[in-house]
Amino acid sequence: MNVKLLVFTFSLVLFFFVIDLTRREKLTFKYAAGWLGVSLLAILSIVFDKFLFKFSSWLGFALPSNFIFFGLMCTFIILALLLTVFLCQQDTRNRLMAQKIAVLEFELEQLKKEPKNPSVKENQR
Amino acid sequence: MTEKILIIIPAYNESESIKKTIQEILALPFKVDIAVIDDGSSDATSRYAKETTANVLTLPFNLGIGGAVQTGFQFAFKKNYDIAVQIDADGQHDGAFLQDLVTPVKSGEVDIAIGSRFIGPFLGYRSSFVRRIGINFFAHLISFLVQDRVTDPTSGFRAFNRKAIKAFALDYPYDYPEPEAIVLAQRLNLRFKEIPVQMRKRQAGHSSIRYLRTLYYMVKVTLAILLDMLKPQKRLI
Repeated sequence: MNVKLLVFTFSLVLFFFVIDLTRREKLTFKYAAGWLGVSLLAILSIVFDKFLFKFSSWLGFALPSNFIFFGLMCTFIILALLLTVFLCQQDTRNRLMAQKIAVLEFELEQLKKEPKNPSVKENQR
Repeated sequence: MTEKILIIIPAYNESESIKKTIQEILALPFKVDIAVIDDGSSDATSRYAKETTANVLTLPFNLGIGGAVQTGFQFAFKKNYDIAVQIDADGQHDGAFLQDLVTPVKSGEVDIAIGSRFIGPFLGYRSSFVRRIGINFFAHLISFLVQDRVTDPTSGFRAFNRKAIKAFALDYPYDYPEPEAIVLAQRLNLRFKEIPVQMRKRQAGHSSIRYLRTLYYMVKVTLAILLDMLKPQKRLI
């Protein structure tokens, strides 16, 4: 019973912590959604633990804890892969931005070097 | 030469050789523009390049050779250059062969001309023994994959027409891009050909591919090339 309470409390704290991070704009909903889903799933697994035991035995796991460890391992591998994809996207975006900055900076320097158009000066007077 | 030609020089910490490389190109008997892409150097590369008439584009941080060369393609495309020629900043590439490299691109025979130090009649510097083993490996692998003879897949002495400039401005490999770019060119249906050139020993500085990096380079480029072959054929718009 104590273990159930411990896991339930941890999942609940995680759930509210993610909500708080979103509220304080440290996390956007796009990235918070997955974590909220995981913590909700953990809470539901504790509340309906009989279903968890039946499901793990149906899948052929000797112990429900093995099933939980397997589930967690799969979740983190997928999460790591998704984060790598995200990192690659950011890398490509950074590269494109750096290239654009280099070209724009060059053009700006060229514009600064060019003598001002005298007709413009005339109009300003 | 009536076409607008841009010489793209990617440079990372090449302050010792950049000025000499630019001056050598400017001394050639035909008019070309030069774009030095300073790849986030921490030395005076940019300052020395700016002392010449070359256009100097400074990247805010180091992107690697692929990112620097691609910046050159983007600049060439934006400024409507007909031909772009990639030349190393370390003085390995002899400007005297520029005309030979540009001619087949200019005549429309090919989209990309690659300077090769391994086809006759010239017998210049052909890299160190260990490197030649690597180059030979990639030459065989790429020749098999593209079903065309490639002898110098790591050569960074290349000329590109407008079609190739546009394609590579949009998509170009990042790390150690030269061998991968040949496979990409084939996937984009770009025609390429090797032209005999003479190369020299690096005049200053040191290569980024040394020690354990050589092994990483071999594995990374091989995997990248093989994965490239699995990608769908691309069509240029």
